[in-house]
Amino acid sequence: MLDISGLRKTFQDKVALDGVSFAVRPGEMFGFVGANGAGKTTTMRIVMGVLSPDAGQVSVNGVPLGFAARRTFGYMPEERGLYQKMKVGEQIDYFGRLHGLTPQGAAKATAELLERLGLTERRGDAVEALSLGNQQRVQLAVALVHDPEVLVLDEPFSGLDPIAVDALAEVLQERARGGVPVIFSSHQLELVERLCDSIGIISAGRMVASGAVDELRSAEGQRLRVVVRDAKPGWADNLPGTLTVAGDRETLVVTGGDDQEILRAAVQAGRVEHFGAERPTITEIFKEAVS
Amino acid sequence: MTNHLLLVAGREIRTQVRTKAFVIGLIVSVVIVAGLAFAPKLFDGPESFTLGRVQVAELPLKTFAPDVEFEWREFADEAAAKTAVLGGDVEAALVPGNRVLTDGEIDDELGLLLQSANREAQIGASGVTITPLAMESVGADTRYQGARRGIATVLVMVLFFMIIGSVMMVAMGVVEEKGSRIVEILLTSIRPWQLLGGKILGLGVIGLINMAAIVVTGLVAALLSGLAADFPPGMTGIAIGSLIWFILGYAFFAAFSGALASLVSRQEEVGNVLQPMTLLLMVSYGVSFFASADPTSTIATVLSLVPPFSSMVMPVRAAAAEVPIWEIALSGALMVAAVAGMLALGAKIYERAVLRTGARVRLSEVLTGSKP
Repeated sequence: MLDISGLRKTFQDKVALDGVSFAVRPGEMFGFVGANGAGKTTTMRIVMGVLSPDAGQVSVNGVPLGFAARRTFGYMPEERGLYQKMKVGEQIDYFGRLHGLTPQGAAKATAELLERLGLTERRGDAVEALSLGNQQRVQLAVALVHDPEVLVLDEPFSGLDPIAVDALAEVLQERARGGVPVIFSSHQLELVERLCDSIGIISAGRMVASGAVDELRSAEGQRLRVVVRDAKPGWADNLPGTLTVAGDRETLVVTGGDDQEILRAAVQAGRVEHFGAERPTITEIFKEAVS
Repeated sequence: MTNHLLLVAGREIRTQVRTKAFVIGLIVSVVIVAGLAFAPKLFDGPESFTLGRVQVAELPLKTFAPDVEFEWREFADEAAAKTAVLGGDVEAALVPGNRVLTDGEIDDELGLLLQSANREAQIGASGVTITPLAMESVGADTRYQGARRGIATVLVMVLFFMIIGSVMMVAMGVVEEKGSRIVEILLTSIRPWQLLGGKILGLGVIGLINMAAIVVTGLVAALLSGLAADFPPGMTGIAIGSLIWFILGYAFFAAFSGALASLVSRQEEVGNVLQPMTLLLMVSYGVSFFASADPTSTIATVLSLVPPFSSMVMPVRAAAAEVPIWEIALSGALMVAAVAGMLALGAKIYERAVLRTGARVRLSEVLTGSKP
C-alpha cells in the first residue's frame, strides 16, 4: 500500500501542491489525471524523492519512504532520460545492475524484457537510432528491469500509437496482477477508464476526487437519456434536464426526476428511439470536477 | 555501495574506449610524442661534410668533431674548385692563401671547425703545444640543465592538455545526465556521490591511459632515437612522478568541474559555468610554464607547495631542477588534503544542484540552501 498524505510544495511564491493525499493498494492500477500544471509531475517527483515536500509524507505499508525502499521502485520520469548513444540491451542491463541485480540476474531480466516488448532485434542498436515509440519501450524496460515493488510512471502512454499503447498496457496490467501498486498519469481519459481500478483527479494542486472508478461513477448519480424522433415542439418544456436537438432527433438528459413521467411525456411526443439510465464517463467526471 | 561507484566507472570507461575520438586521440598523441623524440635527429645539421682542396694539406678537423665524417676531394686548380662549390659537390674548398671558397655564407659549425683546425695546424707547425682547459664545476650539477628544461617544457603542456581534456569530459557527462533527466532515474537507485565519484574515477582511468601512453611512448622513443643519452639521472622517477601528479591534479579539477557543471542543464552553458575552474587551471599552467624556465625562482618555489597550483608546478619544477625530497612530500600531502576537500565539497554541491533542472542554479543558493 502506497500512501501519500498531505503533500505541500511551493516553488518561490507559487503553490504547486496543497495537501495532496491518496492511496494506491497492492495490485491496483491508479490513474492520476489532471490538467497541465495541476501538480501530477510534482507529486510523482516527490514520491520518487527527486523533490522533497514542504510538508506531508509518502509511506509504504505505514513506513515512511526512504532511499532503500525507493530503490525497489520502478520510475519513468515525464521527460524521458536514456543514454542516447548507449546500446539498448546494455542500457537495460546497466540499470538492472545499478538496482542491485547480479550480472546473471540483470542479463536474464534484460533478455526477458526485450522479448516481451518486442525489442530483441534492436538490442545492439544505440537508443538514438530507435523510433520514439521504441525509445519509450526501452524507457519502460529500464523502469521494470529490477522487478519493482511499486511502479510510478509519468505519462507512459504519451506519443504512442494504439498498438504500442496496448502492448504497454498489457505489461502494466500483468505487473498489477502480480500485486504491484501501479500509479501512472495520463491525459487519455478513455484509456484511464479502460485500464484503471481507481483514479485520482488533481486540479490546481488539490485532489478534487479520488477513489475506485465504479464508486466515482455511481456517486455522480444516475442519469437518464431519452432520444425522441419527430417530437412535437415544446414537449419537454415542463420536464427537468437539458434538451439538445440534432435534425429530427431530440435528446433529453436528466439527472433525478420521475423517470416514468418522463417516459410517458416522451411516448406522447413522438417516436422513442432510446430510453435508458447511464453513468457518467471519467471524462465527464473530470470536466465536472475541474470546472 | 562502492560496487555502484565501480559500475558507474565501468560504464564510463566502456563508453569512452569505444569512441573513435579516444582511439584516434591515442594514436595521434603517440605519433606526436614519438615524432618529438626523433625530431632532433631529423632537424640537426648534416653529420658529414664534403670539402675540396687545391694544393694545400687536409686540416685535422676530426680532432675537433670526432662524430662528424669529412670527405676531402682534391682539385687541380682554383677554377675547378669554384665550379665544384657552385655546383654543390663540395660544401667549401680550401685554396692557397688561407682562403675558403663557399657558395654564400658558410655553415656555422663548419666555419668554426675550419677556423679551429687551421689555428691548431699553424700552432702545431710553429712547435708550440697547447694544453686544453679542463672544465670543473664547483656549483650544482648543471650538465643536464638544457635537457631538464626541455623535458619540463614538454611536461607542462602535456599535463595541461591532459587535465583540461579529461575534466571537460567530466563536465559534459554531468550535463548530459542532468539535461536528459536520466539523473532522476539514476538517483533513485544510487547516491549522488556514487554517480559523480564513478564518473570522475572512470574518466580518470581514461585520462591516465592517455597520459601513460604519452609518457611510455616518450621514454621508449627517446631510448630508440638515442635522445635518452642526454636524459638526466632519475628520468624514470620524473615520469612516474608526473603520472601521480596528474592523478592528483585531475581529481581536484574534475571534482571542481563536476560540481560547477551540475549547476546548468544545457551543454551550451558548460563553458560559461566552468570559468572559475578554467581560470584556476590557466593560472597553474602559466606559473608552471614560468617554472619550467626558472625553476629556482621564489614564485615557482612557493606555488609548487600551494594546491592546486602545486599539482602542475611541482612536477615541472622537479623535472627542471633538483628539489629537496621534503618539499615534494609536503606539497604532495597538501595536495592530497585539497583533493579530499574538493571531492567532499564537489559532492555536496552536486547533490544539491543536479536535480534542479531548468535555469542555471546559483552557487550561493546551493551552498546556503537545502535539498530541492
